[in-house]
Amino acid sequence: MYKYDHIDQTLVNQRVAQFKDQVERRLNGTLAEEEFRPLRLQNGLYHQRHAYMLRVAIPYGLLSAKQLRTLAVISGKYDRGYGHFTTRQNIQFNWIELEQTPKILAELAKVQMHAIQTSGNCIRNITSDAFAGVAADESVDTRPICELLRQWSTLHPEFAHLPRKFKFAINGAKEDRTVLQCHDVGIELKKNTNGELLANLYAGGGMGRTPILGSLIKQDLPWQLLPSYLTALLRVYNRFGRRDNLYKARIKILVKALGPEEFARQVESEWEHLHSQSKNSSDNFTPAEWERVAKHFTKPAYKQLPSFSNSELVQQWQADIDPNERIGFVRWLERNTRSHQLSGYASVILSLKPHGTAAPGDATTAQMNAIADLSDQFSFGELRVTHEQNLVLADVQQSELLNLWRAAKKQNLVLPNIGLLTDLIACPGGDFCSLANAKSLPIAAAIQERFDDLDYLHDLGDISLNISGCINSCGHHHVGNIGVLGVDKDGEEWYQITLGGEQGNNTAIGKVIGPAFYANEIPAVITSLINTYVEKRWADESFIQTYRRLGPTPFKEAAYLHQGRRNKDKTEAFEASDISDAAKPVTAELI
Amino acid sequence: MMNQQVISYPKDGPPTVIPNEWQVWDGQSDEGAPLNTSNLPHGRSKVLVPFDWWRIHNPAHHQNTDVRERANKGEIGVWFAADEDILKHSAIIEAGKTLWPVVGAHFPIFRDGRSFSTAALLRDRFSWEKQIRAIGDVLIDQLLQGARVGFDAFELRPDQNLDVALKQFDLFSVTTQNSWRAKRSLLEA
Repeated sequence: MYKYDHIDQTLVNQRVAQFKDQVERRLNGTLAEEEFRPLRLQNGLYHQRHAYMLRVAIPYGLLSAKQLRTLAVISGKYDRGYGHFTTRQNIQFNWIELEQTPKILAELAKVQMHAIQTSGNCIRNITSDAFAGVAADESVDTRPICELLRQWSTLHPEFAHLPRKFKFAINGAKEDRTVLQCHDVGIELKKNTNGELLANLYAGGGMGRTPILGSLIKQDLPWQLLPSYLTALLRVYNRFGRRDNLYKARIKILVKALGPEEFARQVESEWEHLHSQSKNSSDNFTPAEWERVAKHFTKPAYKQLPSFSNSELVQQWQADIDPNERIGFVRWLERNTRSHQLSGYASVILSLKPHGTAAPGDATTAQMNAIADLSDQFSFGELRVTHEQNLVLADVQQSELLNLWRAAKKQNLVLPNIGLLTDLIACPGGDFCSLANAKSLPIAAAIQERFDDLDYLHDLGDISLNISGCINSCGHHHVGNIGVLGVDKDGEEWYQITLGGEQGNNTAIGKVIGPAFYANEIPAVITSLINTYVEKRWADESFIQTYRRLGPTPFKEAAYLHQGRRNKDKTEAFEASDISDAAKPVTAELI
Repeated sequence: MMNQQVISYPKDGPPTVIPNEWQVWDGQSDEGAPLNTSNLPHGRSKVLVPFDWWRIHNPAHHQNTDVRERANKGEIGVWFAADEDILKHSAIIEAGKTLWPVVGAHFPIFRDGRSFSTAALLRDRFSWEKQIRAIGDVLIDQLLQGARVGFDAFELRPDQNLDVALKQFDLFSVTTQNSWRAKRSLLEA
């Protein structure tokens, strides 16, 4: 993975010194909170319900064992013994004191990490495929471009105070694992027949209050020209994006208002002045810059190994596997491993989604240390963070899978639920976040507890359930097959259900099925939706396929059926007394 | 309220605090009244007028000889509002290059970054070589960004500490993208 040279290290060290001075000015009162706020946000520091939250960047999801050990130290020393991995390849610490942040950042800088631009109205952490460089379906390893753009966007002066946050995702595989079209800019990398690296750019995607899929605005852009083209694009947004209304300030609103063609035309017209046939913009990347970065993304010291199917592996280990281990291991092979570019290797997903015992994406100090050890032992000391808030050991020898499974099992990291209903995405929600309208974590826990039966989960197969505590959509509910959104109605926490969202190559935004539910109704509602699928599915049909075939009606009817007296066409909230005690599931005490 | 001092940070020299010679006129006192010099603020000879006002009244061609004389003496510059689309008025700005000693770009609030792009365009597109001054809600922690996109003078909000402000410009010895002042360090890596 990428290693800082003196330029990167100097920049990060100097950024720590700058922020330390800003914190000191805040603490001595010469910098008002209102004016400190954008500064701390641009360094990932939020003020939340109980304390400050620090969001640390894990650029395009890549992490070394050494870095993870530092995160473990920080979680133990400055937080309450855990960290929360997010959908955008960051980690969040929820119990931070302002005075401590310069020290934390200094510790991070020592292992080539930072919190630069993990929040604020600027270019955020660039995300990519967690399986970049190893995925069997990869056309282009995205990591060099990710790193080049990370550097280009770091402390970019012109785009330091954009109308709103700005998120990049970059994909280079056949299957999109980045939710590319839900980003302000999505970059799809490919190679032409001459082997030249080209980019297609999508702009104006996003979730939040107005979910929109990005539109293709530029095709076949040579990679070297990305900085000048992106400068033009961001300049158009910086100048003309709305600033009068926070909720209409994202680039998606500008692209929608102008229309993608007109937006693309304006970008093109700006770009012509920066770069043309006769004038190569000095912003463009040079071959030497590529070399400086790309040399770090060479393949590790792989061995030449024979390749095995999962059933062949199980066959080989027939005698070694204890009968009571067998089903767990087999399921884990099936759900938690991914095919690798190289014969004899696999990528392994460590599940951070235990059933109800920890928040989705949370890892304890002990787990972080153990995972760092596992990566040293089994995967060249490197890890990846996925969009679904799990961790990946990307380069595991197939012959070591059983050993790895046994070692990871001790840390409660082998639940074979990847891609299943309980592998749900959730934001920290109202338990921590001051933006949230409602809690996410108790809902997640209640669903995981209700669907704790692994046989049943495996029978249900692929299904995504995403929970956001507010319309900011950090839990990416819009692209969950089932989405749960916390809403506030007259000071009470309600939950709206969307169906039909999807990520991947058929990315789609889910649609709201009707009036919102109380928290304690959600497990029953999810059960109704799942039962409907089970009743109506054709053989081998996934939840989303059944939903696409049948449309929302049967699911909707089932979801509102258990409410008895409720009029399904009525959109007004009804009184708490309208729900009988019998209708309130047992999860009420969790809320 | 006018700051009596500004930071000057020319492309080829260190940042220093100098007396503020330019008064920023908001254009408001002129509302509805016929244009004459009495509409311009008194007490200071050098005035930055709103670009919009200039565009509408175009003093270079105006009957009012006093305004014209002042412009010709280099006592009038313009400032661009954050929402001004300067590319729509290329001809006026090109003509202004020989007339205005200074242009300003305004920050209605410190976290509004539009004037960063205005300054970048003035430098890149218009090859504006004279002073670009940051005015309005200009705070210490914007200076570095401003200096990199093309500003070389800053009228800070009067409550800002100029000693702290002067220390902002050399916080970073390396950069990872080009700026008006220098190419990125990465090119020498």
